[in-house]
Amino acid sequence: MRERIIMPLLVIVAATLAAAMAASQSAPPTLPDIPNPKVVVEAPEIGKFGGTYIVSSISDPRTFNPIVAQETSSTGVTGAIFEGLVEQNYLTGEIEPGLAESWTTSPDGRTWTFTLRQGVRWTDGTPLTMDDVLFSLEAVFTDGVQTSTVDLLTIEDKPIRWRKVDDRRIAFMTDKPVGTFLRLIGSLDIIPKHKLGDALAKGGAEFNKTYGIDTPPREIVGTGLFILQSYVPGQRVTLLRNPNYWKVDRQGNRLPYLTRYVILIVPNLEAARLKFLAKETDLYSARAREFAEFKQGEQAGNYTIHDGPETFSSEFLVFNQNPTGVAPPKLTWFQDVRFRRALNYAIDRKTIAEQVYAGRASPAWGPESTGNTLYYNPKLPQYPYDTGRAQQLLAEAGYQKGSEGLLRDAQGNIVEFIISTNAGNTDREAIGNIVRQDFTKLGIRVTFAPEAFNTLVGKLTGTFKWEAVIIGLTGGIEPVTGRNVWLSSGSLHMWWPKQEKPATEWEVEIDRLFERATAEINQNRRRQLYFQYQEVVATQVPMMFFTNPKTQPAVRNTLGNIKLGLQGVPGELETLYQKTTSRP
Amino acid sequence: MLQLIPMLLGITVMSFVIIQLSPGDFLAEIRLNPIVSQETVDRMRTNFGLDQPLHVQYLRWLTNIVRGDFGYSFAYQVPVLWLVRSRLFNTLLLNIIALIVAWAIGIPIGIHAATHQYSWSDNLLSLFSYVGISTPTFFSGLLLLFVAFKTGWLPIGGMTSLDYDLFPWYGKAFDVARHLVIPVMVLGVLAVAGLTRQMRANLLEVLRQDYVKTARAKGLAERVVVNKHAVRNAINPLITIFGFELGGLLSGSAILEVVIGWPGLGQLILDAVVRKDLYVVMGSLVIGGVTLVLGNLIADILLAYSDPRIRYD
Amino acid sequence: MTEAVGDQGSGISHGPGEERQAATSSAQPPETGPLTRPQPGRLPGTQPRTPLQLAWRQLRRHRLALLGGVVLVIFYVMALVADFLAPYPLDFSDRERFYHPPAALHLRDATGEWHLRPFVYATRLVDPGLRTFEADRSRGYPVRFFVRGEPYRLLWLVPTRVHLFGVDDPARIFLMGSDGFGRDVFTRIVYGSRISLIVGLLVVAVTIPIGMVYGGIAGYFGGRVDNLMMRVAEVIIAFPSFYLLLTLSAVLPATVGCATRFYLIIVILSSIGWAGFARLIRGYVLALKQFEFVLAAKAMGQGDLRIILRHVLPNTSSLVIIVATLTIPSAILGESALSFLGLGVREPCSSWGNLLSAGANLINLSRSPWLLIPGLFIVATVVAFNFLGDGLRDALDPRMRTG
Repeated sequence: MRERIIMPLLVIVAATLAAAMAASQSAPPTLPDIPNPKVVVEAPEIGKFGGTYIVSSISDPRTFNPIVAQETSSTGVTGAIFEGLVEQNYLTGEIEPGLAESWTTSPDGRTWTFTLRQGVRWTDGTPLTMDDVLFSLEAVFTDGVQTSTVDLLTIEDKPIRWRKVDDRRIAFMTDKPVGTFLRLIGSLDIIPKHKLGDALAKGGAEFNKTYGIDTPPREIVGTGLFILQSYVPGQRVTLLRNPNYWKVDRQGNRLPYLTRYVILIVPNLEAARLKFLAKETDLYSARAREFAEFKQGEQAGNYTIHDGPETFSSEFLVFNQNPTGVAPPKLTWFQDVRFRRALNYAIDRKTIAEQVYAGRASPAWGPESTGNTLYYNPKLPQYPYDTGRAQQLLAEAGYQKGSEGLLRDAQGNIVEFIISTNAGNTDREAIGNIVRQDFTKLGIRVTFAPEAFNTLVGKLTGTFKWEAVIIGLTGGIEPVTGRNVWLSSGSLHMWWPKQEKPATEWEVEIDRLFERATAEINQNRRRQLYFQYQEVVATQVPMMFFTNPKTQPAVRNTLGNIKLGLQGVPGELETLYQKTTSRP
Repeated sequence: MLQLIPMLLGITVMSFVIIQLSPGDFLAEIRLNPIVSQETVDRMRTNFGLDQPLHVQYLRWLTNIVRGDFGYSFAYQVPVLWLVRSRLFNTLLLNIIALIVAWAIGIPIGIHAATHQYSWSDNLLSLFSYVGISTPTFFSGLLLLFVAFKTGWLPIGGMTSLDYDLFPWYGKAFDVARHLVIPVMVLGVLAVAGLTRQMRANLLEVLRQDYVKTARAKGLAERVVVNKHAVRNAINPLITIFGFELGGLLSGSAILEVVIGWPGLGQLILDAVVRKDLYVVMGSLVIGGVTLVLGNLIADILLAYSDPRIRYD
Repeated sequence: MTEAVGDQGSGISHGPGEERQAATSSAQPPETGPLTRPQPGRLPGTQPRTPLQLAWRQLRRHRLALLGGVVLVIFYVMALVADFLAPYPLDFSDRERFYHPPAALHLRDATGEWHLRPFVYATRLVDPGLRTFEADRSRGYPVRFFVRGEPYRLLWLVPTRVHLFGVDDPARIFLMGSDGFGRDVFTRIVYGSRISLIVGLLVVAVTIPIGMVYGGIAGYFGGRVDNLMMRVAEVIIAFPSFYLLLTLSAVLPATVGCATRFYLIIVILSSIGWAGFARLIRGYVLALKQFEFVLAAKAMGQGDLRIILRHVLPNTSSLVIIVATLTIPSAILGESALSFLGLGVREPCSSWGNLLSAGANLINLSRSPWLLIPGLFIVATVVAFNFLGDGLRDALDPRMRTG
């Protein structure tokens, strides 16, 4: 009699339990104060709590104000304290929800409405509200505030407009559709109105001074992973875990795992390397030449050095095509695409990769780096090193090498020019040397003259009196953020800035491609447009790109959740953890 | 005393002119940022007052200084005085300790060298100290950092350890002392070399004086002759060096601070000069000039106090 | 505590009371007393000695000073005949053999046979990451002397193609290894000596006349002229030399050639030293002014300038010599400090300073230490100058030169 009751009972209990478990597994994790925390899914492991993560930085932060901060030494700190409406996934580059938990786009692509996440608090306990978002926007567009964000949020000379829909929603409006809007709005960090409102009311100049490095740490209030604990000038920045953070791991544990995040300020790369080898820091971005020997020392040093992907920055040689800066005959040569193409064949990218980057670089044929997996065009025309072909192309274009070994143009002028670069950058000086030797083989009289950075910038952006320059630019994922470089009207359109009308057909085409890409919401179609622009650049060669160097981050083995992302970033602060807590 | 003012004025004018001579300005870095537009850069320029004619910029700065306002740093957007104050103590500490160490070592060695002129020990010490001053500081600093790393005895640059704030006061003192060893060694050797040479020369000259011969003739022990009488007289001229060292304290260790990572004024000024952070450079130079003059003043006073033959009117 | 530029603990103080300093700045050799002229009543049979001979005798006692002198002579000869000594031209680079260790000279080959003439093996890259090379022991390339190489002009006069030593292609004789571009370090050191060694001489050649004239005039005329001139000099002395150097170097235009840049750097390095030197001279002249020979010359009606140039200044000559030997090393170190900051002589020219600053990093320290050899040359030169200066100062007591 009992068995007949127990068995069905057991089955019912088992079934109920199973159903309950199934139900709990499909329900998203919650936190007591935050109804909809963000779940970080890409971390391989569930981490242990506690531990200190120490990195090094070559220079001091210049400010703790995220709106004003521009250089990496500052954004390395503000990035851990402040956040924006959306964020970028470090592995894929895709845009994900941040302080905004969701968004919608209007069908015409001109209005974007974001919904703010509930329950997020500033580290002093005050709740995050729509007022803070509105305040941050106001700060960016206030006259006198020193920020680069204002340029990102200005489309074709018109700033974006916004409107508070209700306490949780804000709508942004643009005149024309902007396909990259999400990435652009991600550049805005949200700052606390209750802390900085008074300063902004006094004007932009006053605001620039807020949250400077002289601010008492407890005044600096953010929503991010960490809280600033102390800053000792010239020595280190110490940050502590934010106990009320709004992200969780897959199991629902509140992130971050780390208790302390320390940035040691070291004077140069040598000191950074020594500190890493002495086990004082957990991360070291090794130089290419160090890769092989660091690999040998992995056991003894208790670290792993990774074969990282390429960065997004570019290095190139550019010739001045600006009539205000250069006169004929040089102007004629530099404006001659056959001249440029020929010279591109004379660049020994293999030797550059081997000598400057110990072989850890891939040749670059266009403006986007191989590391930009979203938008890199792998099918660009290539110019493999061949001085014979270069000489032949030059001859076809009318440049003949005379009996005395000097190259002359069709009018008999000796081809000669000066290549500058910024002194002190050993990589560029090395590249310049190699390029000079090869161009000399073609019969060109080349002078390689490194000079002070300030002088160089003055020439590139002020007087325009230069001939050829080897220089580099940082890059973002979306090429349109570099529109100052590629639009013919741009101030950084190196070979001929601020044109009133595009000087050539292909510059017209690039202008058009950029305009369409800016408006294109569909990422695939945008990618096609980017592919086209890279092809134009690779064919017309206004800039001759050298290589895309790889990164080689060395990471202490005690760190968990290490997975290499874009540009060689080893992991994200949310999910990094120390497997052994030997360091408090 | 009144000479101070024209001299300081001269220093400020000179530094202003020189900085303006070199091309470009603080905004050079920002101009090369692909994101930043020309308009933003222009606006920054106006905010910093960099679009004003030069003499206006200078005069504005001068009137502010007189009121005690050293202005704001372009790069950091904090008051120049705060920046200087955050680093001044570190540089002073380093240089003063190095000075003390150098004197403690240099004087006895100088005495020894003078009393054993041309002996092998004299030559050996000379050789050692000359090698010390002949090595460019960036090189010796690097070598010592490497030695610190290999042996593990000394910290690799910097001034304090990670958990400095948790130490008791004596722990803190010990921590800083450990970090001082390498930079003091580099700076100290430089000063020791000069001091020993000077001391040796002075002492040698004094020892030939008649009154020394008199003292010897009186039957006094050689040691007493040397230490009590000769040294005291030989030291006097060195006091002027001491005063000058005090004055040069703020600028002398710049390269070393950069190589070792000592968080001092030298590092700050070096960066500011390269970046053309105008007010930081000018403010630091004024402070440097003031310390120089103070140092000379102290040297004058010490000299007048110790040597009755020299009196200034 | 100043480092590397301007002051080398040279004993030249810039504080007040340095008139007294100058007078007591050198030691007296024991056996020669303060001689102003040969003394009567000497021991019979001994010859009267001129001050120069006495000075030389004194100098010879200072062994290290002599050693320093010898070293310097060797280095300067090296600079003179650099083209002859260097096996490769300055611009030569072997694109495959960069960071190549110093050539291994052998006397005994793989079969165990001994050769009279040393030889090298050709090498092959084995590991591009670790940059290890392997010798091809099948064939030895003997070191040939007085080989024909790149044409040049010996001592800038005689066109010739003879170099001291070399080996046939494809072997390389990198006596001190090769740098990051595959250039022979020994060649670059030998050519670099020209810049590093001459920089000191030229800085002295500029500083001394300017300082002497300026200080001479100030000291001689005294009064308000002296006051004004010294105030200006003091401003320059008070200005931290290092930052002056820095900002002036940043002003240099970039596109000047190697030589022009070199001369401009000379001018800049001189600009920090002349004021202190001028003040020293002025102190000296102030004292000398009272001496009889000056008063006599005035009484004879000689013009002021003539008196300054012909009577007063020559008596400062021993001081000048001492200052010269002590300024040169600080100029050499100043040049290397500028190179470290990227403001010195530029590629492709070589100077010991820029060779050292390019080589001074930890990767090289552990992997290619031969790149730090230029540092040894700098140290050796500066030490040699310092010892020589010491010896000269001991030997040339200023009180011997008042006649």
